[in-house]
Amino acid sequence: MADPDFEQSLVKMFAEAPSLPDPEGFARLVEARLDRGWNLRQALIWSMGLAGGVIGFSQVFPTRVLAQMGAASEESRRVLDQGMTSLSNLQGSLDTLPLGGEVVWMAAALGVIALAFAITRAVEEF
Amino acid sequence: MELAALSAAGDRPAFGELVRRHGSSVRGLLRRMGAEPSLADDLAQDAFLAAFERIAEFRGEGTFVGWVRRIAARLYIRRWRREGLTDQAEGDLEEVTGGEAIAASRIDLDEALKSLSPSERMCVSLCYGAGMSHAEAAEALNAPLGTVKSHVKRGLDKLRLRLAPPAGSSDGRREHG
Repeated sequence: MADPDFEQSLVKMFAEAPSLPDPEGFARLVEARLDRGWNLRQALIWSMGLAGGVIGFSQVFPTRVLAQMGAASEESRRVLDQGMTSLSNLQGSLDTLPLGGEVVWMAAALGVIALAFAITRAVEEF
Repeated sequence: MELAALSAAGDRPAFGELVRRHGSSVRGLLRRMGAEPSLADDLAQDAFLAAFERIAEFRGEGTFVGWVRRIAARLYIRRWRREGLTDQAEGDLEEVTGGEAIAASRIDLDEALKSLSPSERMCVSLCYGAGMSHAEAAEALNAPLGTVKSHVKRGLDKLRLRLAPPAGSSDGRREHG
């Protein structure tokens, strides 16, 4: 036989929260688990980002970057060759001219400058 | 509702406050359903975490605590069915329920629930503690509706004997089924 009053009182009794030990500790445990989950999620996102970056880099590096590096080194070599050729020509000219030691030193200094320029150019290109 | 809305917006301190306010209610329901205290606490934690994950689904229909209690109840049902607790200790409980003469004095709900078989206790707790209809309880338990109704009826009969009649509570009736 249905007894609505009794059923209603039962609902009220169930709705009353019992006095349980350490409610604050329980809440802290839930928050700690939330934090742990959040940290894990952050770590996952971070590692996925890192993996994506590595994959992207590995796709780009061998093609575009290496091609640029190759072009840069080719350019640097050409500049160096030009410098060396200039030095050789200068030396050949020096042999035919009646010049003193100071001119030789000046030419050497120019060669060093040309070499420095070539190195600087190579570094900039890289 | 405000705290729930804040939580839905990602405000975790607000959710922490909800846990502080309603933790005992959820833990208590699970114990009343028959869970051991440590299991009840673990499942209550799981229920709150699940609630936080799915808080966007809570649209303010009913109370937040009622919603979490339902989540917790379903988690316990899953465990209850997996571990085959449905018929556990039925025989022992018959002896307890046989002592109907002790119904003269009022005892509290937690003690009274111990006089029910696990299935009766589960069905009564789902319908009167977690706010499920008989049909919802049957679906959650994957049991025939008639079985749930008879468990509830037998459980109520036992509880009625154990619990003294309430003094003047007649407003706001619920319907199950």
